[in-house]
Amino acid sequence: MSSAPWSLHLLGEVLSAFSVESPTALRDVLSRVAEAVDAEITAILRHDAFTLCTGLTREEQPALLALVEGRAATLTLPAGRTYHLFWASLGDQGLLVVGRALEAYNLEERALLRGMGRSIQLSTQVLDAVRAAQQAHQAETVAKEAAIREATIDYLTGLPNRRMLLRHLDQLLSGDQSPDQQLVVLFIDLDRFKQINDIHGHKTGDRVLHTVAAHLRAITRPPDVVGRISGDEFLMVLMLKNPSDAEQLAARILKHLETALSNQGFGFRMSASIGIALADANDTPEMLLDNADMAMYRAKQQGRNGFARYERSMRQHLEERHQVQEELRQGLTNHQLRAWLQPIVSAAHGGVVGFEALARWQHPRRGTLTPDQFLGVAEEGGLLQQIDAAVLRDACTGISRWDTTLTGIAPRLSVNLSATSLADPCLLDQLEQVLQQTGFPAGQLFVEITETTLVEEIPSAYDNISALERLGIRLAIDDFGTGYSSLSYLKRFPVGIIKIDRSFVDGLGRSSEDEIIVETVIQMACSLGLEVVAEGVESREQEAWLRTCGCHYLQGYLYGTPADLHTSEIAYRESLNQQLGLVLPA
Amino acid sequence: MTTATEPTRWVRVGTSSNQDPERAVAEALAPVLELGQPKLAVLFCSPAQDLTQVSRLVKAAIGENEVIGCSSAGELIRDHALSGGLVIWALGGEGFKVTTGFGLGSPEQGLRNAAAQAASCIEQLERRQHTLLFLLADGLCGDQMEVVRGAYDVCGAQVPLIGGCAGDDMALQSTRQIHAGALLTHAVVAAAITSDAPLAIGIAHGWTPLSEPMLVTDSQGTTVVSLDDRPALDVYLDAYDAPAEVREDPAAFFRFAHTRPIGIARRNRTEIRYVYSADYDKRTVTVFAEVPQGAMAYLMQGSCTSVLEATAEVCALAEESLEGHPACGFMVLECVARKSLLDQEGLLDASLRLPTVKEGISVGGFYTYGEIARTDGAGGLHNQTVVALAVA
Repeated sequence: MSSAPWSLHLLGEVLSAFSVESPTALRDVLSRVAEAVDAEITAILRHDAFTLCTGLTREEQPALLALVEGRAATLTLPAGRTYHLFWASLGDQGLLVVGRALEAYNLEERALLRGMGRSIQLSTQVLDAVRAAQQAHQAETVAKEAAIREATIDYLTGLPNRRMLLRHLDQLLSGDQSPDQQLVVLFIDLDRFKQINDIHGHKTGDRVLHTVAAHLRAITRPPDVVGRISGDEFLMVLMLKNPSDAEQLAARILKHLETALSNQGFGFRMSASIGIALADANDTPEMLLDNADMAMYRAKQQGRNGFARYERSMRQHLEERHQVQEELRQGLTNHQLRAWLQPIVSAAHGGVVGFEALARWQHPRRGTLTPDQFLGVAEEGGLLQQIDAAVLRDACTGISRWDTTLTGIAPRLSVNLSATSLADPCLLDQLEQVLQQTGFPAGQLFVEITETTLVEEIPSAYDNISALERLGIRLAIDDFGTGYSSLSYLKRFPVGIIKIDRSFVDGLGRSSEDEIIVETVIQMACSLGLEVVAEGVESREQEAWLRTCGCHYLQGYLYGTPADLHTSEIAYRESLNQQLGLVLPA
Repeated sequence: MTTATEPTRWVRVGTSSNQDPERAVAEALAPVLELGQPKLAVLFCSPAQDLTQVSRLVKAAIGENEVIGCSSAGELIRDHALSGGLVIWALGGEGFKVTTGFGLGSPEQGLRNAAAQAASCIEQLERRQHTLLFLLADGLCGDQMEVVRGAYDVCGAQVPLIGGCAGDDMALQSTRQIHAGALLTHAVVAAAITSDAPLAIGIAHGWTPLSEPMLVTDSQGTTVVSLDDRPALDVYLDAYDAPAEVREDPAAFFRFAHTRPIGIARRNRTEIRYVYSADYDKRTVTVFAEVPQGAMAYLMQGSCTSVLEATAEVCALAEESLEGHPACGFMVLECVARKSLLDQEGLLDASLRLPTVKEGISVGGFYTYGEIARTDGAGGLHNQTVVALAVA
């Protein structure tokens, strides 16, 4: 058995203590130095201060500092113990000092400690260089990761984005598909999300998206994936054993989202529509996405807050719908959206006193289209505001040109405004401009809004409603009785007219409940000093009943269907003439 | 019971193998309390005992005085070893002053900061010529070397360190540390002791090199990757001519390695490292304390005779450093692997025969997962070693 001199391995042992991964590398090296040479004291000093020190208490350290200049050979502490010291230069890193109580360092040890000092100096420099390189590398890695994240993760919700979802779909479609499992995608689109952004602002919209994302993530189990494609569109990629489970899952998601969103206290109702598409052998990711998208549109057409599974016929329907939307845009540019007027008559004398303006699209090929044929497409395309504005301008312009010699003033005009229009901060400017340009008297203009719009408590809409009074425009509450109106709203805003919904009028003479409701509404309106218009009057019996109850105005097919401006003007003149007993040339 | 004339300094040891905590504590405390309330009571307690109850009961019995302790892998009293028992080692008398502390670490962060925190209890004590820090650490939490380094950071060179790493009766799952009646894990507890008479430390192991010296060419903390550029496990198995089952069965390796430690060459001694597991895929071996890369290492050998000789020698070595004062008590902290060696040979009953220690002098201790003894130099963590504290 050979005996190995302890010093042979000393340097290697100390140097191996340098670890670029350890933040305490230098401290570890000092511990190694001390343990290796049986020293009690090790310290690194720089500019007459300790960088590191082991073996001396804080109270004892000044005694060693006092010896730096003279580099004394021994240190005697107050307790009486004496240590042999060795000082080794670390170049610009300072000094290494090693103290041992047992015996002074021999020549071999001194040579070794000197070499160790030099090694610590060089190693520290190497360590610093490696750390700098590591930091640069880390910064590069972080930047790369951020770039990848940005490219594949949706910044708002943290979910995979469209690109990542398509890549994931591509992997699934190109991989070996298990015969026991079916690749299914659910295309989830929030209903009327654009309105939420327009009416409540993008901050609220973002909160809704966050909430939806969090809940979709929570109900998604690996290996299934959920991501956000864009705007309010989310995609769930699933592997199902039984494809018919997709419908059940979609139903559960709808219910879950409805509950989750109502619990968030947004102050408005939210729902979603879901399109389901099952992957075929030849599908590409884009095709699968398109199919699910089309199915989602079908769910929306069917009344929203539902789901539909993709069928081949949907592609044609979707293309048609896109075409209609494009034609509608062009129609707005080409003034094809016109106001038609339905007369409102006085219950007292039966003469026409005003009109409600209703939108008609004079389609170059399909003829005159009623709102139910294009409003759905208009809403999807965000065109409701433009339609409201077009109808308002057309009606005011047309009526302003009528001969008002007999009355001295234009008839009353009611125009419908969607919630989006009502929340538009530019609404007042637009109304003012139309009134100025057409000369239509503000006092004869009524803006019809629904009860639902009123109770949604949209700040910008409230501002607009309150400001209407300044222009002299009054509010008409449409479909009264079907929503959730509070009497306080009637007092709070410049409401001039309440319009009783046709569903109640229809029950007059047949439903005692409807009769009580209508009677109560008329009495309430009268006591508040408001005028009442009954909509949907179609019979003389209804007319008589309403007149008896004190209803002020009547509207319905009994008095005329909606007609273009020219026809309406003739009807108005005839009515005036009848009232005056005159027959004027047409 | 308290005597009218309490000695200036005394050490007493009590023991019990009773599994009922109240009876065990009562039995173990009885000899301790004969000389009055101790300044410090140290519990060495098998995990087979109800540690929570035992530590609470002892704390309740000795009031404001200091209590620390740990779980063990066997308990030692003069002439024999216990299994599943309780040993209370206590010192008292006006000649001693004691403070205690503790620090919490974690497997991720290790125990260096915990040891420094525990050791800082020494700052509440007015240091006298004879001052010492006694440490008990979690034996299964990171690199045991860090315990010595952390305590040394606070105490400096002038304070000797002694102590041991807690055991769990060789389950190697979890160990406990006790401070003031509270049960801790991943912790270090410490007692700073000053005395008006010497406190001395002895170290012995009895192992001798079996192999030629080898360079530790690759190691990561407590894992030895290669020796002389060969996979450490292959070097180890070949050198000891390990049987086939040891080469493929972790449990067999564990039993085999108990008595075949690695030695690290130091300037004037060899530090022992306890090998406790092997990675058959990576061909590495793992030990309880750091084996520094670049160090010179030996594979060690020993026998029952050398183990018993070292144990018998350690108290004498400690007593020699008492500057002529007679010892009033000893604490013996011995590696559990040495117990295994004696156990294999049926010599466990002879484990603590101390021919040099006079009759009537109290001796107590425990089988540890690592021994701490630092007098000179900055190192002081040992494995498969026996260390003794002699109290004058």
